[in-house]
Amino acid sequence: MDQTNQQQRSEADRSTIERATSGEYKYGFTSDIDTDLIPAGLNEDVVRLISHKKGEPEWLLDFRLKAFRHWLTLTPPTWAHLDIPPIDFQTISYYAAPKKKEGPKSLDEIDPQLIDTFNRLGIPLEEQKALSGMAVDAVLDSVSVKTTHRERLAELGIVFCSFSEAVREYPDLVRKYLGKVVSYRDNFYAALNSAVFSDGSFVYIPKGVRCPMELSTYFRINSAGTGQFERTLIVADDEAYVSYLEGCTAPMRDENQLHAAIVEIIVEERAEVKYSTVQNWYAGDARGRGGVYNFVTKRGLCRGDYSKLSWTQVETGSAITWKYPSCILAGEGSVGEFYSVAVTNNRQQADTGTKMIHTGSNTRSTIVSKGISAGHSQNSYRGLVKVAHAAEGVRNYTQCDSLLLSDTCGAHTFPVIDVANNSAVVEHEATTSKISEDQIFYCNQRGIPTEEAVALIVNGYAKEVMNKLPMEFAVEAQKLLAITLEGSVG
Amino acid sequence: MNSDSNAFTQYLQLRGKDSAAATGVLDTLNSRAADALAAIASHPDSDIFAPDYGVNLGHLPMQADLATSFRCGVPQLNSLLAVVANDVFYPTENLHRNAPEGLYAGSIRTIPEQFADDAASMLETGISDSDAPALVNSLLLHDGVYIRVEKGVEVEKPVQIVNILNSDIPLLTPRRVLIHAMPGSRIRVLLCDHSQTPATAHLNSQIVQVKVEADASVELYDIEESSAATTRYWQLFAEQADGSHLTVNTCYLTGGKTVNTYRISCGNNTDTSLSGLVIASGTENVSNRVDLRHTGTGATSKQLFKSALFDKSRGTFKGNIYVAEGAARTDASQSCRNLLASADARMVSEPQLEIYCDDVKCSHGATTGQLDERALFYMQTRGVPVEEARNMLTQAFMADVIDNISFEVLRQRMHMLVEKRLSGATADCSSCAACHAQSTE
Repeated sequence: MDQTNQQQRSEADRSTIERATSGEYKYGFTSDIDTDLIPAGLNEDVVRLISHKKGEPEWLLDFRLKAFRHWLTLTPPTWAHLDIPPIDFQTISYYAAPKKKEGPKSLDEIDPQLIDTFNRLGIPLEEQKALSGMAVDAVLDSVSVKTTHRERLAELGIVFCSFSEAVREYPDLVRKYLGKVVSYRDNFYAALNSAVFSDGSFVYIPKGVRCPMELSTYFRINSAGTGQFERTLIVADDEAYVSYLEGCTAPMRDENQLHAAIVEIIVEERAEVKYSTVQNWYAGDARGRGGVYNFVTKRGLCRGDYSKLSWTQVETGSAITWKYPSCILAGEGSVGEFYSVAVTNNRQQADTGTKMIHTGSNTRSTIVSKGISAGHSQNSYRGLVKVAHAAEGVRNYTQCDSLLLSDTCGAHTFPVIDVANNSAVVEHEATTSKISEDQIFYCNQRGIPTEEAVALIVNGYAKEVMNKLPMEFAVEAQKLLAITLEGSVG
Repeated sequence: MNSDSNAFTQYLQLRGKDSAAATGVLDTLNSRAADALAAIASHPDSDIFAPDYGVNLGHLPMQADLATSFRCGVPQLNSLLAVVANDVFYPTENLHRNAPEGLYAGSIRTIPEQFADDAASMLETGISDSDAPALVNSLLLHDGVYIRVEKGVEVEKPVQIVNILNSDIPLLTPRRVLIHAMPGSRIRVLLCDHSQTPATAHLNSQIVQVKVEADASVELYDIEESSAATTRYWQLFAEQADGSHLTVNTCYLTGGKTVNTYRISCGNNTDTSLSGLVIASGTENVSNRVDLRHTGTGATSKQLFKSALFDKSRGTFKGNIYVAEGAARTDASQSCRNLLASADARMVSEPQLEIYCDDVKCSHGATTGQLDERALFYMQTRGVPVEEARNMLTQAFMADVIDNISFEVLRQRMHMLVEKRLSGATADCSSCAACHAQSTE
């Protein structure tokens, strides 16, 4: 009798967890805006056309062409623990820009549907200034539509604008830093991005300036069948500080969408950059149809002494994620941090982690990675901690935990620790387990239903990373966790 | 043909000249390996096999004076000892005389009729058609050791196999040890690797294939102390049936370049303990690669690997725990701790988990660092010279790997060898009394 009861209970528990983890994507909608699209396909002419349409100088076209020619010699990487359907790069359109109607001068002139899109995403652009105190450079598909708070930032000498604008107005700065951290030769997707990148953000914080507000860009893939190739470049000069937020949602589509972005960050002496991401692109439906392919190269160079770079990411979306935000710790005493929560559900696949490359002495890095897998998903942590021969007194601590919420998902850990200096102290630990029945039982006993208990435990599990997010973002991130995992909960 | 594939196919051509060296089961193995090898284009370890090594195709006995080779325990050694000189098996008198009822240990070349089928199937255990290094071993194999313990038999004395390299020509020596423990049986095997021609660049290719039947227990200990010119490619393929126990412990003391591969598949409710110790100096290069596969339910596995790297030595640890879908209640842990004792040493660790089942407890930990400065300081304040203090702390660091050795004589011997190795003396296990003492207990 007892056994039957127990069986019934465990079945009830299981269905609760299944219910709790079958949350549907709530941000799936398409806005119908006129877009300027070039026909699908990629060749040198397309690269030239993109450059021409954006009115770029000769040196940038050369950069694109070099990258494109190099890209032709490469094949997509296959080492990740991912099952990527073959991508035909000739069926993708490499440029899509919202059509300009003589350039809007006030919000009233902007396509009301566009504004509506932002509103549904929770970015009331017109209220942004007054309410949140954030400067928002909203990127819809490929061209920046509106930038706010420019004046206030300009007073401090901070440059925060779209990439194409930066190319026009600050060509020397862009030229000095572009491709210095992520070379076009870096990998297949970096080469592709360098050839066809559409737009993105450019941030420059001058010496000694502490950016008074969180800088934020909302990326959004909006046009059917267009790959989006963002390029972000952040430079923090000596003793500068900036916190940068990147968040994304994408409309529901049946067709797979390719996203191959590059983020480059340069941190000079005693400067600090905090880069936070909440990624919630469409992950495909429960049977794994559709969803965004997110192949991103993110890397920062802590060039100056005592500089600091901190990556925080909450990854809940995308059908396939291939992403390793990294730090090259070159400056003496520089610090790298990586905090990540990666949630996969249904048929999602994620292969994400970080690289901490210690080339400077007395550099320190911390890695905290929390993986949560449910449904039939596969979630991998892949990381590298490398200590160069000349780097004295390096310290690294890595912790990566995985939580399994179903018996059909997978959680994997693939770290590489390469130490070539005997004064380094490098620690790595990883655990994999499911939510313990004791914990659920304890919650049940206090009157918390299993469904809420799962949410509670998952939230607690991710807390260490969530705490690293800026306040405004933490709220959204928790909502996303709830949507991705908890369905009716939260 | 590119140079990569040539690393392996050169042996195909070599063997083509004279393929009648082996007999019976080995002949079948040789030709099957030849077919599989011909289809392989590349392998990550091809550089190890690329040099032009000599091969003992004619099954010629070693010309060295065997008496000097037998220093390990001579003169009164009466344990269950066998010697593999280069790649030829020599049973000793005491193995025949002292082997208890239910234990068979002999050459694969002259295997009795009733064991031939078993040996033939075991020779293929775990070797995939893409494993070029193992296939080269299979291709060239003309001798080996077959050990079989019958049902319920507990063999008290350890079986010791001493591998000796002795040749003035660089040789590739294919070696094979098969261990089959029938249900409920128990056996301990000790393998020792030596080189008597330390200046010659040999490639020692050794495969150990173990089958542990239900509720049986196998303990396998391996000590390597060869020479800086020696390359060793050691592969373990083990299969554990339900409720069985397997202990594997490798101790690396001296050598040139060493690659140890462990591939173990665990059944239901099995217990596996895997440990390794590496003390490397000079330009030695030691890799330990583990692929532990949990396919059964309720299995437990523990891994512990420790390295101390001196001078310009290099260590690699690549360990994977694989938990298949449905392998519920698996409890697997892995620990890899490394000590970099010199500024030029380098350690690469890749502790990996690949898990497809939710009801598991898996963990791994990896650390790389140096001795605790405070501990060193404390010892100096007590009048211990810094060098000695370092040695003591390194020894203490290694202690728990050695403590995994279940029989005491060998354990004590290992503590002593490690101490000697750390204090700079050649860790020479000649005049080793371990086996002797064990056998006269």
